[in-house]
Amino acid sequence: MKSFKGGIHPPYNKELASSRAIEQAPIPAEVVIPLSQHIGAPNSPLVSPGDRVEVGQKIGETDAFVSAPVFSSVAGTVKAIEDVVNFAGATVRSVVITADPDQPAFEGRSGKPPEDLDAEEIKAIAREAGLVGMGGAAFPTHVKLSPPKDKTVDIVIINGCECEPFLTCDHRLMLERPADLVEGLRLLMRAVGAERGVVGIEANKMDAVEKVRAAASKSPDIEVEVLEVKYPEGAEKQLISAVTGRKVPPGKLPSEVGCLVQNVGTAIALFEAASTGKPLYERVLTVTGPGVKKPSNFLARIGTPISALIEAAGGVTGDSAKLIMGGPMTGFAQEDAKASVVKGTSGILVLAGELVDVREEHSCVRCAKCVDACPMYLMPNFIVEAVQKEQWEKAELWGALDCFECGCCSYTCPAYIPHVDYVRKAKARITSLKKG
Amino acid sequence: MAEKKFMYTVSPHLHEKGQTIERAMKDVLIALVPVAIMGVVIFGFNVVYMLVVSCAVAALSELFMRWIMGRRQTLADGSAMVTAVLFVFLLPPSTPLWVVAIGCFLAVAVAKELFGGLGKNIFNPALFGRVALMISPLAIYTTKYMQPFFYKSVGFFTPIQTVVDGSVAGRVVYKGITNKVYVNAVTSATPLSLLKSGKMLTTSVTGPTPVGASFLNASGRPNFWSGLLGFKSGSIGEVCVLALIIGGLYLIYRGTIDWRIPAGVLGGFLFVMLVTWNHPLYQLTGGGIWLGAFFMATDWTTSPMTRRGKWIFAVGIGVFVALIRLVSPLPEGVAISILVWNVLTLLIDRYVAEPRFGEVKKPWLNKLPVFPRPKPVTTAEKKA
Repeated sequence: MKSFKGGIHPPYNKELASSRAIEQAPIPAEVVIPLSQHIGAPNSPLVSPGDRVEVGQKIGETDAFVSAPVFSSVAGTVKAIEDVVNFAGATVRSVVITADPDQPAFEGRSGKPPEDLDAEEIKAIAREAGLVGMGGAAFPTHVKLSPPKDKTVDIVIINGCECEPFLTCDHRLMLERPADLVEGLRLLMRAVGAERGVVGIEANKMDAVEKVRAAASKSPDIEVEVLEVKYPEGAEKQLISAVTGRKVPPGKLPSEVGCLVQNVGTAIALFEAASTGKPLYERVLTVTGPGVKKPSNFLARIGTPISALIEAAGGVTGDSAKLIMGGPMTGFAQEDAKASVVKGTSGILVLAGELVDVREEHSCVRCAKCVDACPMYLMPNFIVEAVQKEQWEKAELWGALDCFECGCCSYTCPAYIPHVDYVRKAKARITSLKKG
Repeated sequence: MAEKKFMYTVSPHLHEKGQTIERAMKDVLIALVPVAIMGVVIFGFNVVYMLVVSCAVAALSELFMRWIMGRRQTLADGSAMVTAVLFVFLLPPSTPLWVVAIGCFLAVAVAKELFGGLGKNIFNPALFGRVALMISPLAIYTTKYMQPFFYKSVGFFTPIQTVVDGSVAGRVVYKGITNKVYVNAVTSATPLSLLKSGKMLTTSVTGPTPVGASFLNASGRPNFWSGLLGFKSGSIGEVCVLALIIGGLYLIYRGTIDWRIPAGVLGGFLFVMLVTWNHPLYQLTGGGIWLGAFFMATDWTTSPMTRRGKWIFAVGIGVFVALIRLVSPLPEGVAISILVWNVLTLLIDRYVAEPRFGEVKKPWLNKLPVFPRPKPVTTAEKKA
């Protein structure tokens, strides 16, 4: 079975929510839609307080290339445009919309059939629908679809690994909408001119493998690759290495080795946008964890507060201790449930009991478990040491900038050192020093 | 619901179950149980007295040192106990208890706590304590070895210790705690010192229960089973090779130690021994190579962290041990080899590069970071 070197085997706990079909989450009375939900330039609002908005109406845009517009997720009235603290603790300008009591369904429009679109049209659709990577990083999709001129992409890989423990939204999407996924993959292949499409799925989702294989049976250029169950199998560079054997050099993009990786949710959203003109105003996410009474997969509107989704999942149990937006390895801990769902939110996780294992940090014992676990073959504990001594050149030498913060090092550290936190400090400092 | 406050920590939010320092130290202690049992079987209950003294001194030294240095007490992590037990396993079975106490204090207080505690020490603490005794005036107490099963003539539970015989220089006698002299307890050379002095021949073995007799068969070849089970003289923990292999394999299975280090030590050692045409059985079962390979060289703190570095470190130790045994006047060199490579560990980690993911040209050495040099001040600036 194909895989990569390094990594860890955390408890997956996928069974909590993997058998739950995707349900429509209740539409909240008020949504808070951040104007910037992606990596890149922030949007300026297109509406002002008091304006009427419809479902799928564009409410924020910018001319910058690396950016993605945002859309109203409900029909209603703009209540305010104000600064709101988002899930990651940053203050972002957001549009607050009061939803109408009855919500009309989104009216799709039929344009050119998806199979007749050419590369430039597909990129324009991705941009206009505000598509971003829906695995969590939220990088604008049309930017990814525009590799540098001198690079050719021959393989498009769909990331169906969902290697983060607990999360099951991509699994459910592959089970329930395999045909849309294959159509989305075809669009992606056409957009970059790739000859091959691969759907990489971890071996703990064999039912999804069968469904996607059946859906792709008529396309000889699309195959399904079963990958080893290991974290972080779905990290971009690790996935490329597992599926194709090609290794993206440090500091380079996947187009360097002729690959493009997109998330399952993104591919399906692209197909929706191409066939009905539906922009990205809702997404599938998992509300799960031992601290949730009824783990579920929801189709939720962007801007829905976390608390509404947790209530829809039956509320939290008495011993719930930790609320996380995203997966348990890379997600953001929340002190309260006020933050709202954004385009990159793949899950809401409530941890309880022995899974909450927080201890005081011991000094490093040099056991080298982090070095063995690091999927980028860095020296995590040396980065930590350099940051503690504020030696930023050394932190860079040991690979702080190559780290993608998967958290394998901290997961396996007997001294409970939060390496990822130190790496973030090092990255911020090194980039600011380089700017001068 | 909205009012409930949750815990805030940075990602990741999961931690590997049971992956703690305490668990690792407990694993090492469990792995040492067979070695301890065989030590008691071969050298009597005296071993237990030594273990008790060593553990008590290790605990008190750590408590005391951390108290005077104002550091957080870390006795609960169990690392002091591991050092104490390993230290006793490096000693001859008749070491006086006060010498055990001094050595254990040197190991824990000097080699470990003075350097900053667990994770900061440069030398393996147990080996440091052992070698400190070996090169100190107390060496005479720790370089005389009893023959196996000596307790048959003095009693299983009798505490026995080496005492310098004042009448003849360099001579020792064996006494109990109560000052009773046991003349029938016989010192004997270890297999390696016999080998070094060229006496490893059945015909040269003399005395009532000569050590060589249990170690060599009639043809002068080492007896495989006595070597494997440890029926020979030597340090408490090094004699029973079988127990050491069981303990070492357990630690590898548990993921507490990396298999590369024992493999490299034994591989490098065997390579030199075979190239120089020495019988590997004498060499493998005669000394402390197994204790060193599985329990000393694999110490987390004092071994390199990269895979390449581990191979260099381990093979280096194996080759050094072989060279010391073959060309130096010393019969055995495991402790010194490991201490030498302990010092080199930081250099190996610093300069031997671990190639990053996707690096096209894989480097062998790390670059030095270039720190900006302060600009020389010109005379014009001085005047201004």
